[in-house]
Amino acid sequence: MDAAATGAVRVEKVRGRSALTQCFARYPLKLIAPSKVGPASCDAVWLYALTYGGGIVSVYKAVGSKCSEQLLEQARVGEDALLVVIPDPVTCFRTAQYYQKQVFQVFANSNLVLVDWFTSGRYESGEKWDFRFYKSVNHIFLGDQPLFIDSVLLEQGSNSTIAERMQEYNVIAMVVLLGPKLKHIQDQMQDEVRKLMSVQLRPPTSGGSRYAMRSQSSLHPQRPPLIASCSPFGHTGTGMVARVAAVSTESVYSFLRHHLAALEAFLGASPYSAS
Amino acid sequence: MESDYPVSKKTRLDDAMDSEMEEVPSSASGVNPNLHWTQWQILDSILPTGGFAHSYGLEATMQSRIVNNQEDLRSFVIQVMENTGSLLLPFVYCASKSPDAATWVKLDQLLEATLTNEVGRKASTSQGSALLRVAASVFTEIQALQDLRQAFLGSKTVSFHHAPIFGLICGLVGFDGETAQRAYMFVTMRDVISAATRLNLIGPLAASVLQHQIAPDAERMVQKWRDRDVADASQTAPLLDALQGCHAYMFSRLFCS
Repeated sequence: MDAAATGAVRVEKVRGRSALTQCFARYPLKLIAPSKVGPASCDAVWLYALTYGGGIVSVYKAVGSKCSEQLLEQARVGEDALLVVIPDPVTCFRTAQYYQKQVFQVFANSNLVLVDWFTSGRYESGEKWDFRFYKSVNHIFLGDQPLFIDSVLLEQGSNSTIAERMQEYNVIAMVVLLGPKLKHIQDQMQDEVRKLMSVQLRPPTSGGSRYAMRSQSSLHPQRPPLIASCSPFGHTGTGMVARVAAVSTESVYSFLRHHLAALEAFLGASPYSAS
Repeated sequence: MESDYPVSKKTRLDDAMDSEMEEVPSSASGVNPNLHWTQWQILDSILPTGGFAHSYGLEATMQSRIVNNQEDLRSFVIQVMENTGSLLLPFVYCASKSPDAATWVKLDQLLEATLTNEVGRKASTSQGSALLRVAASVFTEIQALQDLRQAFLGSKTVSFHHAPIFGLICGLVGFDGETAQRAYMFVTMRDVISAATRLNLIGPLAASVLQHQIAPDAERMVQKWRDRDVADASQTAPLLDALQGCHAYMFSRLFCS
């Protein structure tokens, strides 16, 4: 990608309904705003962003030493408004270098759903955590105060490869739910994740290392195929972040589909619905 | 807030060039010998800062069978140190370079927003407040510590996170930035390995052997991640982060985090 993809979008309430009042994109960025995603009764604007060379499923490959960059400089979510960012996972091929930064400006009653996730690569073909560099930065500011500052960096190291650190897990996902409109979704996700994980966590049998079983197969029989945990954030307690690590991409699609299903009421369609 | 104590100390930004201007009694090696005693006391696990209550996510990784034996433990400790370097050393560094209240408040608030894992966040505030209380009581010659604690105790604007307080204390006490960052890496490594012995994953002698074996890795991490700005702080162990967040889901557990 040579030119920096640039675009600008504005969604405002016009005569009581959400409307796309500004939509501009310069090649290689393309923005598509289909009008019939949800039923007419639903008041939401859907936007798809494509980067030529990337496609809808983001795929990144390094050209020489260039790093693919995706920057969302300033997303302002007004009071009472809801922004839902639900991309497919980033998949970095062998030798890829990828950097992404998203900055959100919110107010006391803003609502935000942010999904940010990536896979180990084309792991079914054996390309597993083979990329050179991945960095994803998500900043949420409440006024000028930092509310949620997230930065994940994975780089091939001299001591241990990314693959060694990630073991059999192929997918890392983060889901941020912020705002009063999302409380019921947060509560349900917290409860279900707690139930899911507590049955899979057990103290080792006494004697720790003496009873350790190193399984021959790549997946240790007792390791959870999907690990998830939820944490609240922010002093007002309206924020929650879920962190997920999983062996298969499909299991995370399933997780997201299930936990974000209630968003259909806001969006007119359920995120990540199988189609 | 100015610090007022017998050993003259730079409290300005960009002090990398200022070392030669320091006026302190020095031994043959050029370092104030009293500093050694202070340094060793800060690094000694006997200092009552409550570090023994935290496993840095080790307990959760054991209960999910990610860490099962000493080989896994070695890899785990190294990953924790790498993450400490990438995420927390910038806070130690920036606080030690500018050990004043205004800088400290900004760093503390930024770290509060950065530690998105609730388990890790609570561990940080509990260790940080304990450390500040101990340091204010022990290093009575540093009035700034007591003043800071007085000014902010009970305040909702700060959370008393560990890394900035550690850096602040090191800065006020007279350590250079490299020593402060190395010290922080050391106490982290020390506490994780100690947790491993209490979780019965490794015996105390083997733990000491391991600690010595990975010291070169620890030093490498310090050199790799030192002297960075907090704007560059990143986490590098997302799998361990997800696992540490599960700590509260464990039905039976030994540690707070």
